[in-house]
Amino acid sequence: MTHLARTTTAIALTCALAITACSSSKPDASSTSSPGTGKTVNIAVWEGYTDTEGKAFADLVSQFNRTHPGIRVKTLETNNDFMLQKVLTAVRGGTPPDIAYLYGSWAPNVAKIPSVVDLTATARSPEVNWNDFWPAEQQVATVDGKIIGIPALVDNLAIVYNKSLFNKLGLATPSPEWTWDDFRNTAKALTDPQAKRVGWSIPADASEDTVWHWEAILWEADGDILTPDNSKAAFNSPQGLQATHLLRSMAVDDKSLYADTTNSKYADLFNAGKIGMLMTGPWDLAGFTVPYGVQVMPSFAGSAAGHQSIAGPDNWVVFDRGNDRKQAAITFLTWLTAPAQARQFSLQTGDLPIRQSLANDTAFVGQMDKALPGVQAFIDNLANVKKARPQVEEYPKISQALGDAIVAVLLNKRTPEEALNQAAAATDQALSGG
Amino acid sequence: MAAVRELERNRQPAASRVRVRLRGSDHLAGWGFVTPAAVLIGIFGLLPIGWSLLLSFQQSDLLTPSTPWVGTANYRRLMHDHTFALSVQHTIVYTALFVPATMIVGVFIAVALNRKIRGISLYRTAAYVTMAVSTINEAIIFMWLFEPSFGVVNRALGWVGIPAQQWLSNPDQALYVIVAMTVWGWTGFAVVVYLAALQGVPQELYDAAAIDGAGGFASFRTITIPLLSPASLFLAIWLSISALQLFDEVYLTTRGGPLHATSVVVYYLWDQAFNQFDAGYAAAAAYVLFMATLVITYLQFRLGDRYAHYRR
Repeated sequence: MTHLARTTTAIALTCALAITACSSSKPDASSTSSPGTGKTVNIAVWEGYTDTEGKAFADLVSQFNRTHPGIRVKTLETNNDFMLQKVLTAVRGGTPPDIAYLYGSWAPNVAKIPSVVDLTATARSPEVNWNDFWPAEQQVATVDGKIIGIPALVDNLAIVYNKSLFNKLGLATPSPEWTWDDFRNTAKALTDPQAKRVGWSIPADASEDTVWHWEAILWEADGDILTPDNSKAAFNSPQGLQATHLLRSMAVDDKSLYADTTNSKYADLFNAGKIGMLMTGPWDLAGFTVPYGVQVMPSFAGSAAGHQSIAGPDNWVVFDRGNDRKQAAITFLTWLTAPAQARQFSLQTGDLPIRQSLANDTAFVGQMDKALPGVQAFIDNLANVKKARPQVEEYPKISQALGDAIVAVLLNKRTPEEALNQAAAATDQALSGG
Repeated sequence: MAAVRELERNRQPAASRVRVRLRGSDHLAGWGFVTPAAVLIGIFGLLPIGWSLLLSFQQSDLLTPSTPWVGTANYRRLMHDHTFALSVQHTIVYTALFVPATMIVGVFIAVALNRKIRGISLYRTAAYVTMAVSTINEAIIFMWLFEPSFGVVNRALGWVGIPAQQWLSNPDQALYVIVAMTVWGWTGFAVVVYLAALQGVPQELYDAAAIDGAGGFASFRTITIPLLSPASLFLAIWLSISALQLFDEVYLTTRGGPLHATSVVVYYLWDQAFNQFDAGYAAAAAYVLFMATLVITYLQFRLGDRYAHYRR
């Protein structure tokens, strides 16, 4: 080869390489063939399971692949926090996954993506038994009457307390009837500046994690986030003020509430005996190294709303990659969320059962609680989830306004009145398209 | 390249026609070597830059394919955005503190390490090791160092009678904690650059200055600092660009809080694009930052031309 020919070939090769590198994310040929021809349909599932959950999920996937010769499920582990970002990039590139695990609070925005598959018909099929899912899960998967996801996870918030600390200080074990006054007194008794100990803590990074804690308290005060027609803020109400004043008096007056502004320390401090109580969910239980108890959230004395909680359900969302792959994805999700598999996954991971029928199975619940003490209290607490966050696409903006308001109150930079009015103005502006 | 040309020249007759062709093929070979990098930069660098310029004139939520043109509406909105103004302000304060602090700490450590003593490579490694610590570890270390109730920093302040501070939980202090954290993280880089530059400062100058009666500080001020100026210019530009793009440390510690006290431009635009689904608006913010970076870098180069001493 002459020098010239060599260089030309080199250039041609590099160009070819560059081009193939860009297009290599195209699906492989086998994935487009139909199951009828005896070939395998490949589907991609993007999920965020790690550790125990990762192993349990991998077990289920290999079970499915063994028992369904026409379909091959391939998984890609992605941090849940970045899932939507990654999915959006892939949607733009025309290569979304077949199935992605997406947070419930994203649902109204996810529903706007054109390639998201309408699963309403699927959900109606008797095989799915849609009404067996928790009402909170159903609500989060439904946007404007259209079902865009199959429930992947359900959580809720309750109070977890350090049993040995309670014993040491001679504090009464929290009862299911306790009120926020009881709670405040208990938190005060736990607080000891000398020992650098505080009564309780909530995440205060102004993210949705901060906001949903407050929302549960708001609902217990019998308040609402938005007006029934989702057109205006409804949280700047006496109920909203009651919930917010509670936080303010504990954080500012009693100094019994530790505002974890980086949302990273509360679990370690709880394990170190520096925080007496946490308002948190079942996902934290496995990480606690001190003996702990779980109790429902206190109620406001005299409030008609009683004990409530908030669920943070997440969804499996299907993206349209052609009919065969769509059907295969639906087959997989129907199988994955069926009672037998949901049961197996909960037992292995301690995640709350996504189906009500499982929660009614006392033997199963007992088995779960034995593996992870306290889980039963969280399962029972699902019955206290009575309201859901509004399914509006402006929710991220509302959440941000509320997050700022709550943190401003916790840090004593704004009064509850100022903070809520400011957040309400931002909410109204967002809802009116501003 | 020269070697290749030499080889070809020896192998082939030196007829002028051939030589012209050869010169052409040299050209081609050069392109051949450059093409892979050029294509990659084009696809992953230039294309997104052009694309985001277009995006900044559109309304895009990244969710739906429709991206209507809105002209300069995104840019006009930025001018009335209080949080964006705060983010710009924080970015300026951060850069104005971070860049000089890193350079000053860096030059002093570099001068201290520029001597022949036992175990010097150990000290030099120690100075550089902060660069090797991943940002996530850096963030966790500093979050605990500056923890209000249990952190080492408050404990140390307590010994000298200063009351405990809230640090990352205090909107008035959080940004300075991030400055401290990033100065710590980048000092190693400044040290290495200055150490390398110090090797190029000739000993004769110090000897001559000593004969003229200059003390240690006088020769540091009149010899070391001027002769390090090309390195200082490089560091000023490099650190400024990195400071204007601050994101990781904020994302990992405060998420822009408390109360937007650490919201910087890149964090703000990331939040707008991926949490608020307002990508067009975020692209406009990115372009404002891009233009600002361009202007600042240009000014630094101009100042550098005037004040940096290059030995010829």
